[in-house]
Amino acid sequence: MTANAPLLRAHALRIGYIGRALLPPLTFEVRVGEMWAIIGRNGSGKTTLLRTLLDLTPRVDGGLERLGVRGIGYVPQRLGLDLGVPMRCVDVVRGGLDRGWSFLDALRPLRSRAQVEQAMRETDTLAFAERQFVTLSEGQKQRVLMARALACEPGLLVLDEPTSAMDAVAEEAAFDLVEKLQRARGLGVVVVAHHLAVLARRATHLVYLDADCGLVLAGPSGEVARHATFVEHYGHIFDHAGPSDAHGGHCDEHDHHGPTTEHPR
Amino acid sequence: MTPEPSRDLAAFLDAWELFQAPVIAGTIAGALVGLLGVYVVLRRMVFLAGALSQTAGLGVALAFYGRIRLGLDGLLGSPTLGAALATTTTALLLVGRRAQQGTQRDSLLGLAWLAGAAGTLVVGTRIVQEVQDIQSILFGSAVVVLDDDLVRVIGLALPLGLLHLWWQRGFVQAAFDADGARVRGLPVWLLDVTLIGSIALSISLCTRVLGALPVFAFSVLPAMAALRVSPNIERALVVAAGVGAACGAGGYYLAWRFDLPVGAAQTLLAVAFVALATAVERGALRRAG
Repeated sequence: MTANAPLLRAHALRIGYIGRALLPPLTFEVRVGEMWAIIGRNGSGKTTLLRTLLDLTPRVDGGLERLGVRGIGYVPQRLGLDLGVPMRCVDVVRGGLDRGWSFLDALRPLRSRAQVEQAMRETDTLAFAERQFVTLSEGQKQRVLMARALACEPGLLVLDEPTSAMDAVAEEAAFDLVEKLQRARGLGVVVVAHHLAVLARRATHLVYLDADCGLVLAGPSGEVARHATFVEHYGHIFDHAGPSDAHGGHCDEHDHHGPTTEHPR
Repeated sequence: MTPEPSRDLAAFLDAWELFQAPVIAGTIAGALVGLLGVYVVLRRMVFLAGALSQTAGLGVALAFYGRIRLGLDGLLGSPTLGAALATTTTALLLVGRRAQQGTQRDSLLGLAWLAGAAGTLVVGTRIVQEVQDIQSILFGSAVVVLDDDLVRVIGLALPLGLLHLWWQRGFVQAAFDADGARVRGLPVWLLDVTLIGSIALSISLCTRVLGALPVFAFSVLPAMAALRVSPNIERALVVAAGVGAACGAGGYYLAWRFDLPVGAAQTLLAVAFVALATAVERGALRRAG
């Protein structure tokens, strides 16, 4: 895929439930090679935004375009399998092969063996391909879910708090893997995360949501991270953002330098 | 004193013509409902068979009521249509968005069961002379199966079995990772409706031919056994179909051999399979340390 090609475009996108917008409209575009982190406090609308981008929750208003033909690979927080469901890791990964109506093609799994093997090799999960998924550690499970998302050879990888059940070391390793995959496969990445420290060195772009202030910011991470409200909540965690030249100390006193900043109407 | 007639397998096979319809019907119904039971168990809907029987009862009672009290005739007063409408409505309720969570679905099953049972009783008091007919339409007997019913079971099992072989990957994805399947563009709603619809259809027809007890057993126990010894769902579907078929045929033979009620023999054989599978599973776990 062409470097810098657009993969997902949100234009004046309003998210919410039952026709009621939670936040001001958002405009941004995810391109190949970019890593977008969706951040904000609990209840700020991160998951709603993610589900809207994935078409799992209807948008309230605005435009949302999926560009390119490679589609989306989705890594959920966890796969809700209980102990009674028998599924080997290789079965979990194979489950990610089908797109659209391709499940009608009975021979697809046979033809796509190489795809599954490649996804498992890249995520370092081949060694436990035959093990039951529910017996793995959280870190191993996330790697298997990444392999599953890669099996359909997507252009955009979307991860929903992939490290929420991991310790700091496993979290670092998981994001190293995401970066490696992004480079190797030429992916765009959108990730919802709580722990900014691990994202600070990696995220090229941020979407910052603040439901209390009715504030949304979207743009290059350096610019979003300089915004007064962001600094107020997180400090100067993005080193490359430099010392604060952000504006205002309160969330109702922002101006519009750099990132998309939109207030409730 | 006349000696007891021999009841071994050879004698059973000698009299095959007498038993072939119920044995074949039991085998096919066991395989079909056993296979579908994997989804029933894994989606935590084990009381689906019971709930559908009760709502089918209400549908049949309402059809009789319409025919006797309201003068409806033809298709409108058809008990078969009444049962089909009632079971389909219940099945659709169970695939609705609100029913996706386990507890919601569980509650809806309870609701359907109770509404069906109470509704049948209430309507039944208005059509007292037909209540016996409702029972005979709804609940067959695994002892005697008419040729027409055997044809119906085969006619249902063949296309549904093929459909489930063909669409199996879609059904599994929609059942166990609905969000992931939606993101990849799979028609999750259609897959869900088709799956639940085929379960409802199979359970209602098989209950009518074989009776409630063995069909309830086929919808739960073979899947329980299969899930204990299978490495994945695909294998579990095959094993459950095999166990269900074995219980359908084997249960009939055991009933004849030891003079037992057929449905109960089929059910107890399925229980034995679950016990066996549990022992195999524990043995495997012990060996694995």
